[in-house]
This record gives sequence, C-alpha cells and structure tokens, in this order.
Amino acid sequence: PQRVRKEKEPFEIDFAAPMSQELAGQLYTKASSNAAISLPRNQWRSKTRNLLPDDKHFNSKDLLKLFLKPKAKLGSRKPGQG
Amino acid sequence: RDICRIFSDAQKSTAGHRKAVIALRKIQEACCYEPVNFKKGKQQEDFDVNDFNTEIKRCLLRILAVRKAESAGDRVVRFLGTYLNVASQKDNEIASAGDPDATSALETPTSGLTSEILQMLLPLLSVKDKTIRFRATQITSHIIHSVDTLDENIFHQVRLALLKRIHDKEAPVRLQAVYGLGRVAAEVNPDEEKDDSESEDDDGVGQGVLEKLLNILQNDPAAEVRRNLLLNLPLNKEVLPYLLERARDADGSTRRALYARLLPALGDFRYLSLTHREKLLRWGLRDRDENVRKATARLFRERWIEDCAAMPADQAAQEEEGGEGKKPANQAADPSLDALLELLERIDVVNSGTETGIALTAMREFWEGRPDYVDYVSFPDTFWEDLSPELSFVARTFNDYCRTSGREDGYDGPRMLDAMVEEKLPEVTKFGFLLERELNRLLEAVQASAEDEDEEGEMEEERVQREFVVEQMLQMALTFDYSDEVGRRKMFQLMRTALAHAALPEESTRLVVELLRSVCGRDAKGEREFCQVVMEAVAEVHDTIMDDDDDDDETEKSTTEDSFHSATEHLEDSNEDGSPQAASKKKKSKQEKNLTPEEADHEQEKAMREIMINMKVLHIALCMLQNVGGELEDNANLVTMLNNLVVPAVRSKEAPVRERGFVCLGLCCLLNKNLAEENLNLFLHGFARGHPGLQTITLQILADILLTHPSLLAIPPSTQPLEASSTEMNAPAETNPHLKPLLKALTKSLKSPSPAVQATGATALAKLLLPALLPAANAEETLKHLVLTYFDPDTASNAQLRQSLTYFLPVYCHSRAENAERMVNVACGALGKLAVLRETLQDEADAAAEEAGVDEGMVKLSVVGQMLVDWTDPRKVVGFADAAGAAVGKGAAETHFVLAEQILERLVTSQVGKEERKVLLSMLGKLYLPEGGCGGELLATLLELVTEALESGVAVDAAGRNALGKLKTVLLRMMHDVMTVERGGGG
Repeated sequence: PQRVRKEKEPFEIDFAAPMSQELAGQLYTKASSNAAISLPRNQWRSKTRNLLPDDKHFNSKDLLKLFLKPKAKLGSRKPGQG
Repeated sequence: RDICRIFSDAQKSTAGHRKAVIALRKIQEACCYEPVNFKKGKQQEDFDVNDFNTEIKRCLLRILAVRKAESAGDRVVRFLGTYLNVASQKDNEIASAGDPDATSALETPTSGLTSEILQMLLPLLSVKDKTIRFRATQITSHIIHSVDTLDENIFHQVRLALLKRIHDKEAPVRLQAVYGLGRVAAEVNPDEEKDDSESEDDDGVGQGVLEKLLNILQNDPAAEVRRNLLLNLPLNKEVLPYLLERARDADGSTRRALYARLLPALGDFRYLSLTHREKLLRWGLRDRDENVRKATARLFRERWIEDCAAMPADQAAQEEEGGEGKKPANQAADPSLDALLELLERIDVVNSGTETGIALTAMREFWEGRPDYVDYVSFPDTFWEDLSPELSFVARTFNDYCRTSGREDGYDGPRMLDAMVEEKLPEVTKFGFLLERELNRLLEAVQASAEDEDEEGEMEEERVQREFVVEQMLQMALTFDYSDEVGRRKMFQLMRTALAHAALPEESTRLVVELLRSVCGRDAKGEREFCQVVMEAVAEVHDTIMDDDDDDDETEKSTTEDSFHSATEHLEDSNEDGSPQAASKKKKSKQEKNLTPEEADHEQEKAMREIMINMKVLHIALCMLQNVGGELEDNANLVTMLNNLVVPAVRSKEAPVRERGFVCLGLCCLLNKNLAEENLNLFLHGFARGHPGLQTITLQILADILLTHPSLLAIPPSTQPLEASSTEMNAPAETNPHLKPLLKALTKSLKSPSPAVQATGATALAKLLLPALLPAANAEETLKHLVLTYFDPDTASNAQLRQSLTYFLPVYCHSRAENAERMVNVACGALGKLAVLRETLQDEADAAAEEAGVDEGMVKLSVVGQMLVDWTDPRKVVGFADAAGAAVGKGAAETHFVLAEQILERLVTSQVGKEERKVLLSMLGKLYLPEGGCGGELLATLLELVTEALESGVAVDAAGRNALGKLKTVLLRMMHDVMTVERGGGG
C-alpha cells in the first residue's frame, strides 16, 4: 500500500479523499514510549560542542621549506654541494 | 467543497497564495460573520464556524502523511500560515471597528481556528510515524511564527510538546521543533527585560526554553538543526556568545551562515568586543572552506567599513545642507580615509597587523574588493607627517596589494597597479628620509619608555606604536626596486646606522638585516659586503653596551632595560653566565670571598648585562645567517663570527644563550657540509640531554642539515660515489654510520611527552621521507612509525602533529607509486598493532565502565582501514591517469593487488582478532583491481590465498564470505583472460 501512495503524491495531494485506513492508523498509533522516538541520551551532549579544533594551516610550504631558513626554498642550493 | 479546491490550488505554487487567501477569507467571513443565508451561484449552503474549522482541519490531516521531500506539503503549510496571519489581522480590524477599546487578546474566529488546529496537532506530535511527527511539528512551529497571539493555555501545552521534540530521533523533526521554540524564546525574553514583575512562572519557562535551545545549539549532532537555531534565536547579549561560537562549527555551511547572514544582520560591528572582532576575522578569513572565507571578506569590506563610514557620510550630508540628500541605505558610502582608519583601529591593528596577524589578510581582501578605495587613497607629504600605526598600515598594505595582486599565476607584466604605486607613493630616496625620521622617533620612544617607571604607561604605548610604524615602513622598503643608486645608498647608510643601535627592537632588527641584504646585491660579492657590514654593526653594539658597563651611569643602563627584560623572562633566577670573561670574573670574586651586598648586586647586574649583550648580538648574527647562502669558508667574516661568537654561546650554561647559539651553529652547518658532519653528534647530544625547547631546535637543525646535505646519509664514497638519493639496491649491505643514531633520535621524538617536540619530529621525518632521502628499509620503518603515531590516541590532542600528518600521508603516498607501495608494505602490520592498541584501550575503558570513552579516544579500526585503502589507491597516484593507457604494467596499478596479497596473507597465517578480521575483510571489498593490472604470478598467488582463506573459514559471517567469494570470482576471470592470452600467444 505504501508504494501506491508514493507514486501518487509527487503530483498532488487529494484533499477531497476520504480518510484512509492507513492514514488513520498512522495518525493514531502512538509511539510506544517517548524514548522510542527520541535521540539516545548519550547523543544529547557532544564533547566537542560540534566545534572544529584549532586549524594549524599546515600546507605544502611547511613540508618544502627549511625550519631554520623559512625564506630559502629547498633545492635552490644544489644538493650535495660542498 | 471550495475549501478543498483552495487547498488543492495552494499546493501547486506559492504564486496563487494571495488570491487563495482572499477566497478562503471570503468563505470564513461568510461562515462566521453572516449568520443568515447568502446566495452564491447554483448552490445554497449554510455553514457555520464549526463546519469551516472542521473542514480546514480535515484538509490539514491530509497533508500530515506527505513525505518531507514533497514540496507540495511545504507550500500548503506556508499557505496556512499566511492565511492565519491575514485572517487574524482582519478579525482584529473587525473587532476593533465594533469596539475600539477591545484588546487584541479578544477571542476571534481565527484565533479559535488556530487553537483548534493546534489542539488537534498536539497529540500527533508524539506518534510513532516519523512523517506525521514531522508534518505536525512543522505546522505547529509555522503557526507559532505566523500569528501574534495565542491562547495562553494552548501556548503552554504546545511549548511543552515541542520541548519534548527537540530531542527527537529524526533531525528534521528536531529542526522544526527548534524553529518554533526559537520564536517562543524570543517572545518571552523581551518581556522579562522590560518588566521583572510579570508572572515569574512564565518567565521561568521562557528562560528554560532558551537555555535548552542553547544547549541544542552546542550539542545537536545535526548541522541543519544547529544552523536553523543560529539564525532563529533572538539576538541579545546573553545569546550572542553562543552564536559567535558557531564561527568554529564543524559544519561549513553553518559557519558560512554565521558570516553571510547572521553577522550582517547583527548591526554595527562596533558593539562586538575587540576579542570577538579579532577572532571572527581570524577564524573566518582562515577558514578551511573557501565560501566561509569569501563571506568573511565581504563582511569586512562591505559591512564593517560601512559601519565606520556611515557616520562621517551622514555628517557630511548634513553639513552640505540641502544637498542631494542621503544615499539609499544599500549603497556604499563614499570612500573615506577616516573611516578606514577607524576600521583599522577597531580591529586593533597594532596587534593584529603583525606578520602572522589577520589584519594583513583582511586588508588584502579589502583592496581586492574595493577598487573605489584603491583609487581614492593618496599619500601626499601630509600623510607622512604624523604617521599613526593605522596610516602606516594603510600605506603598507596598499603597497603590498599593488605589487603582488594578479601575480599569483606567474603573470609579471606591466599593470595598472604598478603605475599606481609609482604615482602615489614617494620614491626611494624620499622614502629613505621618511623612514629615517620614524627610526629616530622609535629610538627616542624606546629610550623614553625605558626611563619611565610605569610598565604599561603612555611611554610604553608610544614605543609599541612607533615600533609598529617602523616595521610597516621596513616591510614596504623590502619590496622596493633599488636600481636607483642614490636611493640605494641612502637606504644602505640608513640601515647600517640603524643596525648599530643596541636599542633597536628584535623584529625591526630582523627586517633591517633583511633589507640590508637586499640593498647589497645578490651576488657573492654583495653577500660578503653584507656580512662585513653586519659584523661591524655587531662590534659596535657590543662596544656600546660594554661602554655602558664601565661607567655606572643610571640613564645609560636603562636604555637597555627593554631588551634586558625579554632575556630575563626565560632566565628566572639563574645568574650564571657561561661566557669565559664572566666566568673568570666570577671566580675571582668568589676567591675574594668578602662581597658586600652592593657588590654582589653589582656582580649580578653585570652578569645579566652580559647575557643581554649575547642575546642581542646572537640575534643579529642569526638574522644575518638566515640571509646567507654562500660557502662558509669563503667568507672570513663568517668564520670569525663562528669562532668568537657562536661557539662560546653553544657552550654557555644559560639556556636562552645556548639555544640561540645552537640555531646559529645549525645555520652555519647548512653552509658547510664538513662543519655539519663534525657537529652531528653535538646536536644529537643536545637532543638527548636538552629540555624540550632545545630538543625542538636540534630536531629542526638535524632535519635541515640532512635536507641540505643529503650526501651525509649516502653510502660511504668508497662504494658509492656521491649518490645523493639513496638507492634501494645496496641499502642494507653497507650502511651509513650516521643513519642509525639520527633515525633513532628522530623516531624517539615521536614518543616525547612534549607536543612541540612530537610535532617537530613528525614533520622532520615527513620532510626526509618526501624527497626519498632514506634507504628503502629505513623509509618503510619510519613510515610505519608515522602511521602508528598518527592514529595513536595519545596524539589526539596534538593538533599540530595530527594536522601535519593528515596533510603529509596522502601527499606522500599519492606523489609516487613507490611511496604507495611502501605504504602497502606497512599497512597490515600497522593495522595489526593498532588493533591490539585498541583492544587494550577497550579493556581499560570497560574496566572503567566508560562506554563512549573509547570511540572518542581512538578512531575506529574501520576508519583506519578505509584510509589505508585510500592512501594506496593506485588511481590517486599522480600521473596515473596519464600513464593508464600505455604503461599500466608493473607498479602503476598493482598496489592494491599487493595490498590484497598482504591482507590475505595476514588473514590466513596469523591469529587475527575479531575486529581486525572484520576490517581486513571489508578492506578487500574496496580495493581497485583493474583487469590486467598485475602479472600472472601474483594472480596465481592471490587465487591460492583466497581459496585457502575460504576453505579455512576465516570469515565467520556472511559479509566476510561474500567479500572473499567476490574477490575469487574477479581473480578467476582475470586468470582466465591471462591464460587465454598466453595460450593464444603460444599457439
């Protein structure tokens, strides 16, 4: 029965239609308990408060430059020289 | 019925809503206000209020089962809201027309209808079906937003029901609940502020709602729920910090919503605290998401500047008296330097405009997006006369923008902006004189603040400002073209003199040295001249302070107080100086043994000053060395400096002096391979024995040395003549004597208790791996260490380490096929170790009876597996797509075949824990195994292994068996193809 409804409704809601058995069932079936339709309690809190950690902005430059001479590019000196 | 038809129309598009509202209202009025029959068309009907309400409710029931994705449902809900809003207004008009004194709280047909609808929906908010729950919540919340007043009683019930739904299992339901309650919270809050005497009970509930919503804002796992709240909560002081905190929300769209929608709506940014302004700018402009960055840039250059520009613009308009009148609100005010200066002041440019500060980025975006300001600014003589930090920052960022904009993609031709710089900014010689004036002002300010007792007083503030101005001008000078000899000489003289002042602050010193280097000419001769000049300045600085030392003049002592402070900060109470003279003096005085307290004080002061000189001089040397690239031995000045300055400093017992000494020595080692080799052990020793600060420095030095002199790690020259990159073939046979202790030290750093040392060690190893400096076996070992460190829960809080490895690992694997292969080789071993680690952790956690702890502490093994598969995916290796056609052969596409082999091997031969087994099997299913991707031999081995795995029953569940089965089918087909080709070729 669910199938049939799905195919009909993309187009239009039939307001004139009488109350169907199924709709009534949906409307009047109460949840077994509040817990059954609620988020589990351990998800009520988020340790990180859903925030990002501090960005360190690590990028390719950090891998390609010297620690001590940040301005000198690697490979600008011929490797093995001296 | 007509109502039915109206609702039917309303679901189709929102365009007809206005007409539909009117039509429906007609029916309602007919039902409610005209009790007698009326004639309409062919049918004569007689309905009353109840019929009308019942019919509306009946229609609403029809949409409750409409799925969330269906926009028709949403349209009807919107229609209902619009209708209730309009209808209640009309009701009120009618009511007050009849009785002007009546309050709006009066019971009207529409309020009755609203109540009835809400009443009907109330129990539906907690039914089992999630669609119904969603629609019911949606309608309820929408009604709350649409009407101004509600029946007290029902309002209360609705509020309670909605509060239950904010923890609904379904995110869409939570979103709707939170949306409705946002209005509730907004409703109650102003009341409370206005009048405290109002029924406390009610306020208490409203407050409770707000509190719960803020809680949701921080904790709800669904980003859309948080985002909706962010935009729907009332804007007040209490809530603001919670809203602004979302600037770091884990979800990009939420962050963007804050910058693009909430903040512009917030009104004048000057109401935000300075800290908030700075943080918001910094977070937004450096966000990982480009859209957030864009939104922030717009906020800064279009809203914040307008907040500053609006006032003067208004005043100007008023002064003009009878002018063209005010500009429309949405149009930008005319560019105004005062506004820009105020904006800069309001983001505290003296602090945020430093080299790592956010103001630089902000101003770059500003110039980029405000061509009107680029046109508008000018720098006449008056501009430079009384140079405030803000003014200097305008000049500096303008200069930066004009000289670099549009050059990112290598374009370096003539542009408009170049001409603009030439035209607007003073030429080099003139700039030199301006800079000279500011340098003198700075030196005076340093002196004055040193004499001033008050550490945070005006003098100190003046000094900070002067320093900032000079830094900006030096930054500008660094970008100038010094082909004009007059200008070049002026600048050379100026820098040479400035450097000799002991009182020049550190950052300015650094810039002066750099500028000196660029004025001296790029060639080797220029470099020698540069070193010569700097060393002369060093000698002068040394002499100045020693002179001070001789005569005990109070004022002269205090000129150095400032730098003196920065040194003592690290020193604490140690007063022993390592330099030879000081040590001998100390000995002498100890021998005399009869020190009066004054003499002891004097000795101590002397020692302090000694340290201070050392620090200052070493700093200059360090800045110089950073700008030198030639051979050490060719430069007599450098050799002298090394022996007289650096070597004693390295032996110093004062930690700060020694640290600087190490850095200088390290820099010297970069210039000379022999020196580097001689000192490797010293640095290793420093790492083994030093405190974390020195450890970090030595790690950096060691890594830099190896990167600069890769031959230090090569096989001894007897067998392998100067081969820079390690060759895999003869690696184990003969090893380099340096290799083992170096790698040991670096690897050890990964286990350091200091996060800085850990992170530096990881980055150092990453740098060595990337250019393949290590022999194959060592590289593999090192890679494994890095992978393990990456997933180790102990490093979870070390963001620097985690983020650098997050960047490095995929880059490494995807940059070369060999690297990916290396990862394949360590994958299973690492996974196994991590599985054990996780089990131990889990046991501990079980013991502590903590459920969530484990997952938070360590990533799931399945995630590790996924990442390993991804890192080794042959399709992601650079150049794979290009090579795909021709040379798919060996290596290129084989990585996952090899990984499959390793996984199967592990499954078949060793005892594997349950979780690990599951992960291994699921990894098998995700491998990329293209046809013809591997040779027949490996294929045969794989088939054997799969068969064995299936027969020995390593897969206990259906999913695992399926994965193995599927793999076998694929392999069989490939095998078949291979055989066919072979047979075809043979016969």
